[in-house]
Amino acid sequence: MNLDFLTIDVGTILFTLINTFIIFLVFKHLLFKRVDDILEKRRQEVTTTYQEADTALASAKADQEKYTAALAGAKEEAAQIRTRAEQRARQQSDNILEDARREAQAAREKAMQDTEREKEQARTELKGEISDLALELAQRIMEKEINKEDHERLIGDFLQEIDTAGEGGKA
Amino acid sequence: MHITDFLRGSPDGIDVKGPGVLCSFDIAGVTINLTETVVISWGIILAVTLLLAWLTHDLKTKDISKRQVVAEWIVTTVYGLVEDSMGKRWRWFAPYIGALFTFSITGSLVSMIGLRSVTADFNAPLAWALVTFVFIHGTNIKTHGLGGYLKGYIDPVPVMLPINVLSEVSTPVSMSLRHFGNVVSGMVITSLLYFALSVVTKSIGVAFLTIGVPAVLSLYFDLFSGFMQAFVFIMLTMAYISNADGRQEA
Repeated sequence: MNLDFLTIDVGTILFTLINTFIIFLVFKHLLFKRVDDILEKRRQEVTTTYQEADTALASAKADQEKYTAALAGAKEEAAQIRTRAEQRARQQSDNILEDARREAQAAREKAMQDTEREKEQARTELKGEISDLALELAQRIMEKEINKEDHERLIGDFLQEIDTAGEGGKA
Repeated sequence: MHITDFLRGSPDGIDVKGPGVLCSFDIAGVTINLTETVVISWGIILAVTLLLAWLTHDLKTKDISKRQVVAEWIVTTVYGLVEDSMGKRWRWFAPYIGALFTFSITGSLVSMIGLRSVTADFNAPLAWALVTFVFIHGTNIKTHGLGGYLKGYIDPVPVMLPINVLSEVSTPVSMSLRHFGNVVSGMVITSLLYFALSVVTKSIGVAFLTIGVPAVLSLYFDLFSGFMQAFVFIMLTMAYISNADGRQEA
């Protein structure tokens, strides 16, 4: 038995609606939902991967900055060390020069003092010799007229005068 | 039978029948027929279910198989088609469009394995067109409100009411008849061709024409026409519903 070639059959329409609904469910759950899920999962994975890459990049940059900073610090330290060494060397040379100058000064002062002392000594000796010489000369000139004590006093006065004159001349 | 029979018209030559009825039963006074169309549809459901289950089992996020490429291609293509035609709001409609397209095209193509096309039964495209009809009017009411929807029938002047009603009713009729007509005409032409070729074969005694010629024509009438009608049907469905939606996305 066949239906007419062109007929409207309620049963077929109902069955077709049900069948279409079943195919729709099959498509929705077997195809679209599964693929949607996997696409979403992949999207999330991609997002995660990008985030991880960003994090890694940021950490690498931070490391780089840290090393650059450390390198700069090392350079600065080296410069400081050099500067300090230069300063110390200059200080030392200055000290040496200063010592040398001081020693030279001391030597010169000592030499001057020595000279002065010798001069004084020489002057004292000369004074003694002059007095002896004068005494002897006076003894020889006026042997019997004046006793020895008077002579010595006279000469002492004379020498005193000379001395005073000498000191006045020196001053 | 001789060629003269064909030219004169054979009394038992060509008889294009409707779908066969396997059994029928009455429910509340309505005769429900279990026809060839319905049983073949069940076969299609089974085949589609198995095919999709095979395509989408064991999906992965990377190192994907060719199966998965096909599955993802189908899904993204249907989503793209629906979003282009109806906007992103109708994304959820994509599984129905995919199901409808698949049901329609496989329903037409079963003729290639010697079964009667599901779509050569007017009731199948009619059922789909009714679904589209319900969606069109449901969407229209949802968008414009019942008042706005009813007002649409007397737009621009009340005199237009019968014409507007006719226009709405003609939508599913034209959709279903277009699909049915195309498929069934292919079926009729193929039957005619087989008949003609068998007559020629009998008259010259060599059966070379029955091989090859029908295959070439089948490419058009089954493959191309089946694909075109399924495509036209889903495009019209989306266009009508989108039109009723009114809120066109930029």
